[in-house]
Amino acid sequence: MNLAILARSSPLFTTSRILHRSIASKPFSCCSISNSPISINPKTPLFLRPPTFSATLSDLQKWQNWAKSIASSVKSSFTDSDNGPNSNDLHRELNWLIEDALENPQSLLTHNEFEIDYVLRLRADLDELYLLWKQRIEKRRPFQYVVGCEHWRDLVVSVEEGVLIPRPETELMVDLVDDVIKENEDLKEGLWVDLGTGSGAIAIGIVRILGDFGRVIATDLSHVAVQVASFNVNRYNLQDKISVKQGSWFEPLSGFEGRVAGLVSNPPYIPSGHVSGLQAEVGRHEPILALDGGEDGMADLLHLCNGAALMLKSGGFFAFETNGEDQCRFLVDHMETIHNGSFHNLEIIPDFAGIQRFVTGIRS
Amino acid sequence: MSSNILRRAYKLSSSILYRYQPISTFFVSRSDPQFSTSSGKPQNQKNEYGVSSISNKRLNFSFGSSLNNTRLLFSTQAAVEPSTSDGLTVDGIVANQWTILDENESDWKSHASAIAQSIGLIKKRLQWKKLKVRLEMLSYQLEKPDLWDDPVHAGRISREHGSLMGKMKEVNGLEQGLLEHIDMIKLAREEDDTDLEAESVKALLRMRQSLKEKELEALLAGEHDSCSCYIEVQAGAGGTESMDWAGMVMQMYKMWAQRRGYGVTVVDEMRGEIAGIKRATIKVDGEYAYGYAKAEVGAHRLVRISPFDSAKRRHTSFAAVAVTPILGDGSHHVQINESDLRIERYRSGGAGGQHANVTDSAVRITHIPTGITASCQNERSQHQNKASAMAVLQSRLDQREMVRQAQMNAQYTQSLTDNSWGNQIRSYVLHPYRMVKDLRTNFEVSDPDSVLEGEIDDFILSFLTESMDKENDEV
Repeated sequence: MNLAILARSSPLFTTSRILHRSIASKPFSCCSISNSPISINPKTPLFLRPPTFSATLSDLQKWQNWAKSIASSVKSSFTDSDNGPNSNDLHRELNWLIEDALENPQSLLTHNEFEIDYVLRLRADLDELYLLWKQRIEKRRPFQYVVGCEHWRDLVVSVEEGVLIPRPETELMVDLVDDVIKENEDLKEGLWVDLGTGSGAIAIGIVRILGDFGRVIATDLSHVAVQVASFNVNRYNLQDKISVKQGSWFEPLSGFEGRVAGLVSNPPYIPSGHVSGLQAEVGRHEPILALDGGEDGMADLLHLCNGAALMLKSGGFFAFETNGEDQCRFLVDHMETIHNGSFHNLEIIPDFAGIQRFVTGIRS
Repeated sequence: MSSNILRRAYKLSSSILYRYQPISTFFVSRSDPQFSTSSGKPQNQKNEYGVSSISNKRLNFSFGSSLNNTRLLFSTQAAVEPSTSDGLTVDGIVANQWTILDENESDWKSHASAIAQSIGLIKKRLQWKKLKVRLEMLSYQLEKPDLWDDPVHAGRISREHGSLMGKMKEVNGLEQGLLEHIDMIKLAREEDDTDLEAESVKALLRMRQSLKEKELEALLAGEHDSCSCYIEVQAGAGGTESMDWAGMVMQMYKMWAQRRGYGVTVVDEMRGEIAGIKRATIKVDGEYAYGYAKAEVGAHRLVRISPFDSAKRRHTSFAAVAVTPILGDGSHHVQINESDLRIERYRSGGAGGQHANVTDSAVRITHIPTGITASCQNERSQHQNKASAMAVLQSRLDQREMVRQAQMNAQYTQSLTDNSWGNQIRSYVLHPYRMVKDLRTNFEVSDPDSVLEGEIDDFILSFLTESMDKENDEV
């Protein structure tokens, strides 16, 4: 079977892709997802910007007090309405925002309120900091988009609107791969694939534990994601080991059938019906392309299962993230019946919250 | 003398020997005819034999130890008590009871007397006799052929041996220095060289001044005193008032640590609903953080009119403080088995995954066999929260193991194990009068505000001085 056909084999898949394209491009007047090769430059995360701005200690403290007070006023209202952050979470985020915005965050501690004329160097001007915090609270703009990065495992990956913010749960995916390659030198030095890579977090996390010959191909349909992933790959100086390709799922992988040592993915898995009720940070700001998994949330996962059977070499490993127990069970069942004999060692693995989160297995 | 004793002596001494001289010298000395004959002679000669005779002396001390006489082991200086050319020793100087005058008085006897006293105090604080016994034990262990079968254990033994050896050499060096300066002064007087005399008296003065610092350092001579540490504060019973108090105590430590130039990071914090904290753990990074902070272990009591009581009544609250050292890699006392751990998201709920945007990725780790837990929520990634919580867990398990070992090995118990988490150590009274008093030392200060702003060094030092000096008097 031709990969391109495989990529479009599910009718649901095709329609949802088209739907996604139009929605995903909405927040980006500047960069509608076209096929034109002009590269858009990913935004530089706050902590990497040069400290070209300055403010006096007293002005910064004024901003800080204002930011604290609006964070405090939130109390548990976001949590009550959609499981969003409470004041405590927002205060912690505020500290991190300061950490990222100041050239020398320690100076806030070492200088006291009497040195009001002390001048601090900033990576964004004070007006922008007011605007950013307002967006965080009033628009519920995700904190990670506000600062332009997400700390994930021991990495700091750049993110921006149009790219899914990598989740803490997904960090475990790298541990799963680590467990597998510890026992298997062949996989450690092989070719790995991260499908729907988004910011590139999983690909970067994995390549750093692979051996000298290990390589990763990271694919994503979204042009923004490809740009941001490439930026992150370059920032960690891994451009020789990770190749980021644009295309739907397996499309960019033709020619690698039966040669892939490992395949990982955190595909969209939220059932379409749940999208409208999502936490504001997610539903209003993150790309629906990376979230909506079709009617039962399984459209892309099932597609990936079929592809895994085709792409993985014998002994190859796969790990997929899912929405929870139902999807995990469904997938395992699907693989045992539809792909009877293709996979073994199928396992369901929980995240730290105890939710059955991952399905892993080995290609026979 | 049986060859068996000889072999034991050889083993015992070689570890010290190689610290002082090349192996080749050792082999020479072994073939030295004196090897077999010198053992019976008294060894009070001073260095006429040169290097090889030193080794013989050492061997001789080992024989002494087999006769249950450990006094002279491990140091030539200790064996041949150093003295000036006319036979004055450091103990002799103390015994002379020369009047100690102000530092500005350029009187060499006064300086010498002050220095000799300082050296005596330092020795006492280092638990000199215990230190020698411990050093002997470590040297013996270092000689065991199977020592390196357990490299972690071996590393610990050899590090501790090196550290104790360093302390011993330093003190011996101080004694030597004092006597040399005195010799110099006497010589200068005989030669009528006033410049030399003045210079030597100045040298004594410098030594006298620098020893004040060393007296303090000797208070922090415990095996882990130089480590960074975690300080944990937990509110006692009593709701908001005691949570507020716990928050004040934690703030006091944060400010104290910043004053001392230590790095402070909040690892874990559970805030009270209205004010303060239910509990919190901070990491204090820097030299001797543990050595100082360990003096704070125990319950801290507050008496005041509670701002949370509308009836304005006087309340008494408690906050418990625990301190654990952060041991370096390779010096851990407990090897944590991954399969003994349960790791959980600290605060979870909802479907998680793509459904949720969270910046709170706190984890709690439970060590199942002991039930000890650690959590961290202040890092920006779950991975790092987990790593931080693991470090706290490691530190707590190490501490637990050290207490256990110390109880088994009463011979080398550190005073810190006497302080339990529940002992009330200090009282902070804001009403009806204002005073902070340490119940262990009776040290008190009438300005609680300064104490709560982190000025607790005097409390710490008075406790360390008193507890250590008292304990050593009992020995």
